Amino acid sequence: MPELRTEEFQINMGPHHPSTHGVCRLILTMDGEKIVKIEPVIGYLHRALEKICENRTYAQCIPVTDRFEYVTAMSCNQVFSMAAERLAGIEVPERAEYLRVIMLELNRIASHLIFYGVTAMDLGALTPFLYGLREREAIIDLFEMTCGQRLTYNYIRVGGVARDIPKEFIPKCHEALDTITEKMSDYEGLLNENPIWLVRTKGVGVMPAKLGIDYGVSGPVLRASGVDYDIRRDDPYSIYDKFDWKPSVRQNGDCFDRYLIRLDEIKQSIKIVKQALDGLPEGDIKAKVSPNFKPPAGEVYARVENSRGELGIYIQSDGGKKPLRVKMRGGSYCQLQALPYFGTDCFIADLVAIFATLDIILPEVDR
Amino acid sequence: MLDGTGSMGVFKDIKNLLIGMRITGKHLGRHAITLQYPEQKWTMPERSRGVVVLLSDKETGELNCTSCMLCMRACPTAAIEIDAPRGEDKKRTLKVFNVDNALCCYCGLCEEACNFSALKMATMYEYSTPNKGDLFWDMKKLQEAGRDVPYEDKRKKKKAKPVEAAPINEATPVKEDTKTDSPPPDDKASDTAGKEDEG
Ligand code: SF4
Ligand code: SF4
Repeated sequence: MPELRTEEFQINMGPHHPSTHGVCRLILTMDGEKIVKIEPVIGYLHRALEKICENRTYAQCIPVTDRFEYVTAMSCNQVFSMAAERLAGIEVPERAEYLRVIMLELNRIASHLIFYGVTAMDLGALTPFLYGLREREAIIDLFEMTCGQRLTYNYIRVGGVARDIPKEFIPKCHEALDTITEKMSDYEGLLNENPIWLVRTKGVGVMPAKLGIDYGVSGPVLRASGVDYDIRRDDPYSIYDKFDWKPSVRQNGDCFDRYLIRLDEIKQSIKIVKQALDGLPEGDIKAKVSPNFKPPAGEVYARVENSRGELGIYIQSDGGKKPLRVKMRGGSYCQLQALPYFGTDCFIADLVAIFATLDIILPEVDR
Repeated sequence: MLDGTGSMGVFKDIKNLLIGMRITGKHLGRHAITLQYPEQKWTMPERSRGVVVLLSDKETGELNCTSCMLCMRACPTAAIEIDAPRGEDKKRTLKVFNVDNALCCYCGLCEEACNFSALKMATMYEYSTPNKGDLFWDMKKLQEAGRDVPYEDKRKKKKAKPVEAAPINEATPVKEDTKTDSPPPDDKASDTAGKEDEG
């Protein structure tokens, strides 16, 4: 009888796989049912956004940044505007800063609600998806009412924001926030204690803090591993220092903590938006900036805390009306590059959970 | 597999599953909120950026466009194509105004650039077609689409201030432009100089 032996084999997860949140291919080396090696293959969604930006004026770059990280396009608008403002030394009126913070935080809530729904759906629970998207709809309606678009906002501009909020915005916003606050108990009730959910997420895919820092992971994923680092507090931009809130931190670094931290962040964001709505001053919404303004030659890096970690834009200017070089940095990219180092030694089903709770979106990875 | 250690654990697990089911169960008696799309339609918010249309004067029915080309310059995707040669009297007559909706990214920068209430993003969104060529809208189609679009006439208000309301020509737009948006000097020059630099 020939001798029986086992050997490793490779399978592809993706590029067209419903739980890769876009088009990502993971080449998995398997030993039986266990994953021993993960090799992410990226680039399927490359649209050369950086190059496109280099051929547009600064004002025309903003709609391009919308496509960079479309789930929280407001942050992309914000970070590009911030970089251009720092380069050209433009002061942003206070009302505009308040409006920006309101929109950024609403967008963060919307993004985390998607995360809540999609992660649960990846793990086989369909109901949370409908619940999460139902409340998100209210926020998206607020955006549409203000800037006319539901995903690609083109709202935050160099020097301020594009339009003032309509009259009915403030009551509707309060209403939406109150609904979300009320529904938080539903969200938690559906999953937090659910035994199936706990088995799928607790202790699965633990990312050590050191590994995260080494690979440039940031945002909620890193905070779930116990690192208290939030750019909104540690490198304050806009007017975040005026509000009373605190970054959420959790210790275990597993899928469950990565899930809980997003729910915590929704609560903190609601707090920030409420304060901003109450303190909203009157005044201009945009500094006088010509559409073809030319910043002086130089370079600048601006970063914001987005729902997927540090979102940064580096602009190099030669004094012309178009940037000489633009570099975009997204949080998802770093999370994906850390994945092979802590996502192994588990089942494929666990990898789905890990991938989902990292909340990677591929357009941001591929740019 | 569930982490129930002993019978108590199992009861706890079942209880927690029931909590989740109660939350979903609350929705059982409620009516559906789905909108039956082709029959029922959502009212789009007034600012909604659906499609670029050209606006016409409410009285004369003529296009408001002064061929200043600001929208063409503002467009990040070069979706707008304008051809307006100068006549004998140095005035531009609008010959061609095309918008390629297949290129347009619906950013609304053209609407913002226009100082003459001549172009607007209308709320209309049902113009999908199996034929890509149909997305290329010429002046006539843009004007038809914009016929019934309500708009606030920025132009009239400004015109009312000076006593002798001059017909819209090359001179007025640039001045008003300087007042409102103050583009950099090189731009002002190129606006009056025309589209030579656009090539
Ligand atoms: S909406 Fe944007 S892309 Fe479309 S025609 Fe206007 S400026 Fe160009
Ligand atoms: S900016 Fe307005 S007036 Fe000028 S060419 Fe465009 S549509 Fe016509």
